[in-house]
Amino acid sequence: MKGNGHIKRTLLGYFAFCVAILIVPIFISDAYLLNKFARYLVFGLLSVALSLSWGYAGILNLGQAVSFGLGSYCMAMALKLRTIPIQTGAGGLPDFMVWNNVQTLPWFWEPFHSYAFALFAGIAVPVAVAFLIGWFIFRARVSGVYVAIITLAMLVVINLLIIDQQRFTGGFNGITDLTTFELFGVQFDAYSTALYYLAAIILSLTLLLGFAFVNSKTGLILQAIRDDETRVWYFGYDVANYQNFIFCVSAAVAGVAGMLYTLVMEFASPTFLAVPISLSIVIWCAVGGRASLVGAALGAIVVTGVQGSLSDTQAFLDTWMLIMGALFIVIVLFLPNGLVSMLELIWRKKRPLQGSASARLVASRASRAGQATGHRAVSSR
Amino acid sequence: MTNEPIIELHDVAVEFSGFKAVSGLNLSVTKGELRCLIGPNGAGKTTALDVICGKVRARSGRVLLKGQDITRLSEYRIARRGIGRKFQVPSIFREMTVRDNLEVGYCKHLGVFSNAIRFRRAERDGLEKLAALVGLDDVMDEPAGYLSHGQTQWLEIALLLAQNSEVILLDEPTAGMTVQETMHTAKIFNSLKGRHTIVVVEHDMAFVREISDVITVMHQGKVLAEGCAADVQNDARVREAYLGSGGIAHA
Repeated sequence: MKGNGHIKRTLLGYFAFCVAILIVPIFISDAYLLNKFARYLVFGLLSVALSLSWGYAGILNLGQAVSFGLGSYCMAMALKLRTIPIQTGAGGLPDFMVWNNVQTLPWFWEPFHSYAFALFAGIAVPVAVAFLIGWFIFRARVSGVYVAIITLAMLVVINLLIIDQQRFTGGFNGITDLTTFELFGVQFDAYSTALYYLAAIILSLTLLLGFAFVNSKTGLILQAIRDDETRVWYFGYDVANYQNFIFCVSAAVAGVAGMLYTLVMEFASPTFLAVPISLSIVIWCAVGGRASLVGAALGAIVVTGVQGSLSDTQAFLDTWMLIMGALFIVIVLFLPNGLVSMLELIWRKKRPLQGSASARLVASRASRAGQATGHRAVSSR
Repeated sequence: MTNEPIIELHDVAVEFSGFKAVSGLNLSVTKGELRCLIGPNGAGKTTALDVICGKVRARSGRVLLKGQDITRLSEYRIARRGIGRKFQVPSIFREMTVRDNLEVGYCKHLGVFSNAIRFRRAERDGLEKLAALVGLDDVMDEPAGYLSHGQTQWLEIALLLAQNSEVILLDEPTAGMTVQETMHTAKIFNSLKGRHTIVVVEHDMAFVREISDVITVMHQGKVLAEGCAADVQNDARVREAYLGSGGIAHA
């Protein structure tokens, strides 16, 4: 952040984004479109989660989909247990368990009879898993590309585990045929305006809270860690604690996104915590601007939106992947700070006087360089 | 009070895969003193600082801070006990503004949770003054990566002042500075005497003469001589150690 004016301007941008996503249902009443947009918002939320850890703390978590998938499964388990017509087994067993000869509901499914527990678990389980992985990674002072490798490996392991434990998790098929989520008397049907609003409100709140957080002292220290991790240790900060903290916060946000995704898609599947989605998050972040929460959200919405409309169009049926790839390369090459940096550039163009501080700096550097010419000769006399 | 040692190294040895960077090093710095460490290249000066601040581990021997053993503590715990360090290669946070750099350096509160609800307006005034002291007050909102080399050095010195450690270890703080900048730095260091204990590794003898109380000359991982500037320069062993490099003043 660069001073008060910059913070105010950024905050204004955040508010504009929130208002924009909240008024969408006024103009769009098509249920299919609304569901599609809700899905984009969920991806936006997921992208914000990665921006917190990657953009602000330099932790490239390629296993972000672990948190996303676990959140999604927690929600799906709760909804599955409430699905009336498919209770084919004794004591309301989910259908896939009956097919797999499971006799009684496993112990870890029991508490999911309660919505409150499921909502809690949708955040707590991803956080617990992240904390455990993070504890080992950051205590051992692993950093940089090795974090990416370890988190990617964890993703694959957990994905295989879920597929393998078909009796409890539905295996490849995931958990399907779910009831409609209901909270405080409101039905959150996948194609309802209510669900869109839920996604939009959660994304807005996350963005605003996240903005406050990244501007706190902890947010500042995380950025310092991103810049020069070893230096921060020498100020007495426990860097590993800070890293694990943001790793867990990021997991919590991704967990919430996962829960929402189950509502939007009406099922949970091991593809939610597979490698392709995990890598997509990185692309969304990079396109939008990883060091900006709203940029990351925007990146996810733009990329998945363009992806959706290209792949839906007859003309681009064979080439849409190619176009997406080219778009990604162009943005990374010419806008390394993502789409949001374009807004910043436009602002600078409109207000050339804002650059006076940099001009002063250049001038003072020039004068110092002038003084420096006789430096070595004199000081080593 | 004045003669009470704040840092003591007892028979410290450091080895890097067989190479003895420091061996049998004994050093004692009293509270409020400004000590300069000089010596030819490879004498183990930087390693001596590294072993005090916990960057490298002593293979044997003990490091004491105010009589307490800190030999085996990790670097952030040593920092919390009051030792600040400036590195030879200026390490500041290049992507952050000068102001944000200073706020990171101001580390009164270290907890991740308490800092998450702490916003960064409170300590503003003090940091402005600090920036003015090192002449960075008009570039407070510029990214630190834009600063010149001398300014970068000063920023790191300011970071240490924000940290406000009892003991400050500085590795070549004036490298790359102009003469004017060096003299200004000397003035700052002189004003810190008494409030902080400072250990400086430095090659620039003019600067060393300007600031030092006691100079310690290191050679081949050991202390070779100790005393005021004149004593050290006239010491026969010191002359021999510097032989071939044109004498101490040209180090």
